[in-house]
Amino acid sequence: MKPRKVKGLDPDGPLAENARRIVEVRMAELRSFAPRALESGEQETLHDMRIAAKRLRYVLEMSEPAFGPAADDGARAAKKLQDVLGEIHDCDEMLPRVRAHTELLRTQDAAALQEAAAGAADLEPGAAREAPNRARYRGLESLGTYLTARRAVLYESFVRRWEKMESAGFAAELLEGLNPPEPAPAAPSDGAAA
Amino acid sequence: MAKALPIPGLNPGTRFADAAAASVEVRAREVFAQAHGVLDISDIERVHDMRVATRRLRAAMEVFAACFSKSEHKRLLREVKALADVLGERRDPDVAIAALEGIAAELAAADRPGIEALTDEMRRGQGRGNDRLAAALEELGRSRLEERLLALAQTARRPAASVNGRVPA
Repeated sequence: MKPRKVKGLDPDGPLAENARRIVEVRMAELRSFAPRALESGEQETLHDMRIAAKRLRYVLEMSEPAFGPAADDGARAAKKLQDVLGEIHDCDEMLPRVRAHTELLRTQDAAALQEAAAGAADLEPGAAREAPNRARYRGLESLGTYLTARRAVLYESFVRRWEKMESAGFAAELLEGLNPPEPAPAAPSDGAAA
Repeated sequence: MAKALPIPGLNPGTRFADAAAASVEVRAREVFAQAHGVLDISDIERVHDMRVATRRLRAAMEVFAACFSKSEHKRLLREVKALADVLGERRDPDVAIAALEGIAAELAAADRPGIEALTDEMRRGQGRGNDRLAAALEELGRSRLEERLLALAQTARRPAASVNGRVPA
């Protein structure tokens, strides 16, 4: 997923002003994925949202010298989001491997049984007891079931986390925290006070 | 995971391009400082640390892209991404193997042969990833990537108008 372009950056301008522009764009980018991620939970959208959370986290980490604790807090929140989306991604990556490996074993076993029965008119069901990989299917089925269930649990956890962040107004709060502090009102001069 | 080194001298008013130069310098040095021992598959944290350092460098290059000469930045970012990819090819099986071993330990004994078969397949992937990483590390030395990254960082210290070949009026 290509990052959105940030307009108006000025290499000669101050770090804080430029970093704030980048944070605004990265935050908008992250939030733009939420409707689809919450509605469908589809792999690709969650993956894009994870990358967006990572980009927001990194720019906040880099701009900590400019913004202080507000950037730290924001980076931590982005990391937590990135982490849960990363765990979902790991399940999404592993599940097809488990299925592919199961299919590979099944193909190997079928070929072995066919070879053993070469020249026969038919194949007896009991032949399956001799399949070379017969002891391996159970573990792969258990693993696939576990990963499917874990993915669903993690997705619910992600939805709760995101809804909590949104209802707490995390985006507005973070951007507010990145504002430069208001200059202190000038102290009245001795003459004015008199 | 190694903690990121602080970038010295940054404050809200630091010129953005100076922050770019300092950040890319520190993050580039961090990558190459982590290169030792990454091919040792008995200590998978080393490749992880180098991968994290590469990600931080890549992030700094992307955040501060506006401060660098476009063509050289693009070329070097592509090389850093390629390094990150090859580190990922080693790291991904490392993580998968550790996860599968953890799951297998929690399941019934009868479940283990299947998971071990998949783990063996992952180990073969880890070996292939390590071979590719070894080749990439050799290429890193030949291509003088660190030196070129540090030179790129220096270009940001010039006044912005001359960065892309324009001369200030």
